[in-house]
Amino acid sequence: MISNFDEFQKANQIGGELDDIRIKNFNIFKKKGFPSKKEESWKYTDLKRILYNNLNKLEVPNNKKTSQYNSEWLLKNFQHNQIILVNGDFVSSTFSFEAKDKIKIIPLKTVLKDKKDFEKIRDSFNDQKNSLTSLNHALVNDGIFLEIEDNYSFNKPLVIYNFFNKSSENKIINNKCFISLGKNSKLNVLECYKAEDSIKYFNNTIHHYSIHKNSILKKFSINKNLDNSYYYHLTNVKSYSNSIFENFVFSSGSSFLKNEIHCDLLESFASCFINGLIFLSNEQHHELKTNVNHRYEHCKSSQLVKSVLLDKSSGTYQGKIYVEKDAQKTDGYQLSKALVLSENSSFNSKPELEIYADDVKCSHGSSTGNIDQNSIFYLMSRGLSKEQANRMLVEGFLNEAIETITDLNIKSLISKLFIEKINKTKIKTNEH
Amino acid sequence: MLQITNLSASIDDKKILDGFNLKIKPGEVHALMGPNGSGKSTLANVLTGKNGYQVEGQVLYQGKDLLNLPIEERAQNGLFMAFQYPLEIAGVNTNNFLKTSLNTIRKVRGLKELDSLDFLNLIKTKIKKLKIDEKMLNRQLNVGFSGGEKKKNEILQMIILEPKLAILDETDSGLDIDAMKIVADGVNSLRSKDRSFLIITHYQRLLDYIKPDFVHILVDGKVAKTGCSELALELEKVGYEDMATSK
Repeated sequence: MISNFDEFQKANQIGGELDDIRIKNFNIFKKKGFPSKKEESWKYTDLKRILYNNLNKLEVPNNKKTSQYNSEWLLKNFQHNQIILVNGDFVSSTFSFEAKDKIKIIPLKTVLKDKKDFEKIRDSFNDQKNSLTSLNHALVNDGIFLEIEDNYSFNKPLVIYNFFNKSSENKIINNKCFISLGKNSKLNVLECYKAEDSIKYFNNTIHHYSIHKNSILKKFSINKNLDNSYYYHLTNVKSYSNSIFENFVFSSGSSFLKNEIHCDLLESFASCFINGLIFLSNEQHHELKTNVNHRYEHCKSSQLVKSVLLDKSSGTYQGKIYVEKDAQKTDGYQLSKALVLSENSSFNSKPELEIYADDVKCSHGSSTGNIDQNSIFYLMSRGLSKEQANRMLVEGFLNEAIETITDLNIKSLISKLFIEKINKTKIKTNEH
Repeated sequence: MLQITNLSASIDDKKILDGFNLKIKPGEVHALMGPNGSGKSTLANVLTGKNGYQVEGQVLYQGKDLLNLPIEERAQNGLFMAFQYPLEIAGVNTNNFLKTSLNTIRKVRGLKELDSLDFLNLIKTKIKKLKIDEKMLNRQLNVGFSGGEKKKNEILQMIILEPKLAILDETDSGLDIDAMKIVADGVNSLRSKDRSFLIITHYQRLLDYIKPDFVHILVDGKVAKTGCSELALELEKVGYEDMATSK
């Protein structure tokens, strides 16, 4: 399964607590193996099988990694701060637009080695959500540690680049990212992914966000480049009083992607918005799983996911709203709409509400269907070819998700990337 | 322009058009009137190319076999239908739709495609004449439009696309007098010696504003009577039933 753990473990010994954590967690992983559809939350995503069929010789990276990337991959005509990760490792950070004394940025590698800093993230290693989480604890070697002080609003977005070059071929890359936003602060984070050529790798990453009182964190995750990558992205969010967490997921690139977002609304008037689009072709398999936990009264959450499945692709949305007994006056909403455009494509939707409070407003909806043929006829009667009409309707359908983005600069950037993507995709539908 | 010979159309074995004949020459305006269920909209749908009908007979459009042309090629060749019930299409931006449609048709006609700015200038002058609010252009296509706005949007498309043959399927239904005048002005402004119209309507009212060269009465899937514009006035007095029987 993963052959060279011992070698990795020996090479990365630091003579501290982490050594034991690694061994303990690797043993847990060995016992459980990769998640398979026998587990409820992996019911629609048999990762064990997917990896067996596509990436059956995974290795832990050795220390001979290179940090080269192509500068063409950086966003142009878009002012931003940046952190660059190559093969999961911290390479550089630039905060040209910000007051540097308000920002503490450390490569995670340094944090892991420092006894005092490690204390701050120690608890996160207790999370045993699934075997991939354990594996991540065992193999994490680098990533991001970012703290933003109270009363600081970023002037420009922070782009976190996740680049992968040839050294990642057939590797399993485990990293973590910690971002803590102080009180009354504001940050927009944009995650971009890009891999060299068609290398195959598995990236298992865990992000932790703490959003303190009155703060706003908007996170945009853009995965649009069709490639051979396999990703499991777990995001854990802790939201405190009157904070806003807005997450947009553009799920369209990799061969395999499972995005799992857990958001705990811990104090009153915290809100969480998770919106996104899943747009797949060929044999792609993507899943978005959300767990929004209303743990305190007067919190709000909302989710809108729009999906289009072409060719032999499959998509899944598992959205759960959990409301604790004391979380009265909760306002929770979720909606999933999907267009399944080929006989060989599929979409699974599992909306879930679990409510223990008695004074809440919660609703969910889910629909899966095909493109409306009358709409096609209307557009074609105006001279559009069937392909053009399909494209226009698919674009319009998915655009509704993009419309939820509240930051106008980022919305126009994502909109542009989306148009690029859709114009490159061949939209074939079933003939009637 | 258009020659329809012995056209029959049925849906699920129910015959709707049965031996329908019609000839429209360039520059002519024809009105087609008929009671509910007489096959007016079916004719419009069959000419536009909607699926789901079993069609027999012959339709020549500019010498081409229309029934064998794909939907989009009919439009690209200058056939336009203003829908009775224009569809609401969520997510599709009205302006973007209009521009794509026009440029597709221009390309086929060998004209240069318009860039966003040229298109905007064009559309702004056109919507002013139709008294359409500019904001409509940035809304989703027909979504949440009032009945009048939807019909005006159809006429706007017709004016921009400059068809050779325009079929108006009950464009007057649901319009108030003011809107009807605007729609009629739009049609009249397009009248020319090489452009023909087929105006489908229940009522004579619209024909006060758009004066047809011929009026046809459609009953049970075929033309029961043809006359000049006075026929519509007569029809208004006696009703469809008497008209159909008094040959």
